[in-house]
Amino acid sequence: MSDLPILLIEDDRFVAESVQQALMQSEFLVQHAADGLEGLRLARSSQYQVLVVDRMLPGLDGLRLVKQLRAEDVTTPALFLTTMSGIDDRVHGLEAGGDDYLVKPFAMVELVARVRALARRPAAQNRPTQLRAGGLQLDLLQRSVQRDGHAIELLPLEFKLLEYLVSHAGRVVTRSMLLENVWNIHFDPQTSVVESNMSRLRAKLNAHGGAELIQTIRGTGYRLVASSDAA
Amino acid sequence: MLPRILRTENFRLAALFVVCFLALATVLGAIVYWQVQQAQTATLLDAVDADIATIRNGFRDEGVKEAREIVQQRLGSSEYQAAHAPIGYLLLQDTQKGWVAGNLPAMQPWTGLLTIAEPGNRRGAAGSMLGRGEFLSPTLYLFAARDLAPMVAMRTHILKAFAWIAAVALVLAIAGGLFYSMRFMRRIDVMATTCHAIVGGRFSERMPLRGSGDELDRLALSINAMLDRIEALLDNLRQVSSDIAHDLRTPLTHLRQRLENALSQSRSAEDHAAAVTLAIGDTDELLRVFNALLRISQIEAGSRMAGLTPLNLDQTLDRLYETYLPVAEDSGHVLSRHISPRLAMRGDAELLMQLFVNLLENALRHTPAGTHIQLSAHSAANRITVSVTDSGPGIPAIERDKVLRRFYRLSRSRSTPGNGLGLALAAAIVNLHGGAIELDDQAPGLRVSVTFPACA
Repeated sequence: MSDLPILLIEDDRFVAESVQQALMQSEFLVQHAADGLEGLRLARSSQYQVLVVDRMLPGLDGLRLVKQLRAEDVTTPALFLTTMSGIDDRVHGLEAGGDDYLVKPFAMVELVARVRALARRPAAQNRPTQLRAGGLQLDLLQRSVQRDGHAIELLPLEFKLLEYLVSHAGRVVTRSMLLENVWNIHFDPQTSVVESNMSRLRAKLNAHGGAELIQTIRGTGYRLVASSDAA
Repeated sequence: MLPRILRTENFRLAALFVVCFLALATVLGAIVYWQVQQAQTATLLDAVDADIATIRNGFRDEGVKEAREIVQQRLGSSEYQAAHAPIGYLLLQDTQKGWVAGNLPAMQPWTGLLTIAEPGNRRGAAGSMLGRGEFLSPTLYLFAARDLAPMVAMRTHILKAFAWIAAVALVLAIAGGLFYSMRFMRRIDVMATTCHAIVGGRFSERMPLRGSGDELDRLALSINAMLDRIEALLDNLRQVSSDIAHDLRTPLTHLRQRLENALSQSRSAEDHAAAVTLAIGDTDELLRVFNALLRISQIEAGSRMAGLTPLNLDQTLDRLYETYLPVAEDSGHVLSRHISPRLAMRGDAELLMQLFVNLLENALRHTPAGTHIQLSAHSAANRITVSVTDSGPGIPAIERDKVLRRFYRLSRSRSTPGNGLGLALAAAIVNLHGGAIELDDQAPGLRVSVTFPACA
């Protein structure tokens, strides 16, 4: 599999080098721009899978850069990086056309998982009504689940959790990605919310036997196996 | 001092008032003067005409002799025999024979109204008379007149009176203007002094109030309200800074110690890796504290008021319950809910989630297994009340207010992980939503209730 091209727009040399290294080790091809204007030029000219954009940039700040790209119909998914600051920043980032948001300092595994989640994301207009992975079959309209032909009863939030895992099948999703996207919790809870809910979901998925579909990636998060024989 | 007073708005108003008053006094004086002159002239001419009519009638009925007698009789009356000078003058004169009777010398006959200088001029240059002359027969000429001096004197009195009124008004207006300007300026000076004191660092100083509710008082009230808000924000900032300095020194010291130990004592790569992992954990904990502090102060500064949107709190709470039911089961707690439907309010969904997660996690983390925890919500009288009630050990009454403070931790909770910021953050979020947070004893246990204004 060829390396996926990523554009990193970040003026902090130290952060840029660390990010570049981490992404390259994860089979991404990283191009780096140190200021906003160069970043804008590169983002316009080439096809990238994901843009990783710092909020504060010389030349042109990250928010305006992405706003400008969206105005020019460049739909490349964008992940904002920011120093910890305002509680409204995430909202502003999404309003400007960003797709995800990560506060510095962050763990590199978190960044890699989020970039991978954004890469090759299905286009919004043709979202499937059915999801399949690892012997699972999700009907998004009926909100029903089957595993190898057996119907599985899930609570609404359990379905949402499984839907997120299945739509990222084969890729690592981190705890904070799950907290944000499944439970709308945008901070670090003090209890084992993810673990407890995950164990309920696993128990229900495995009620009729079969291999474990959801792998725990230590220190990072979880991964739903893409095909039943992969486990 | 004086030039400054002259520049005050009050003094300018007083000066304008004086000018207006003087103009009014002048116009009023002129009108009165003119009216009095008209009335006096008319009265005077009436008297003259009455004299002429009497003499004319006498002459017509009984001839020159009678006319002369009437003239002499009138001149002998008290009216014509005033102490200093005659008030009236009469002259009966024959065109051929000359002077016949009267207290005026013969003169060139003139018919109609005539003003002439008084011959004796006994009362100064202004003295003069106004009279009327007519021929009683082709040869007999009669002139009757009245002294103008009393009339002129009266008019002079009127003018003097108005001049006095204007002078007194001028003095009063200037004195009043100066008085009020000085008082106004003194109050402004006091306010300026207060401002200087505040600039100099005495942030508790406030603008003095006279209690009269006038415009300066209202301005002072607004300024004081502004100062209160600024002082609260400053206190908040000062509190945060000292909290950070105070409570982050310990973990930073630990982190430094850990790194130093790793440098000097680690023998293998595994030792190094373990130390670095622990150090990263320490750093993450420090960052969590920083984030929480930052969030609290941002919420307290009210910067997110604009983000409040209509939402259904019952749905948020139901999701919260479903999310935490497995957590409670795993930790051996019994979680139940009692949530009324349709709890509409204005709020920030993300912050409210954090608020209730904090309250629920506090109950889960600080009570032993087997404790019952109930999440309940209902609305009454336009208020929505959400409470998290547990049957755990509760919080002693004296510590109940303190737990809402930053970094405050119950002595028995010091061993559990946490930074003492959860309830402070919760309180800040409640305040942002215009609500109130309350801690009650459940004997045994604790109930934390949050009350919000509901949407109509």
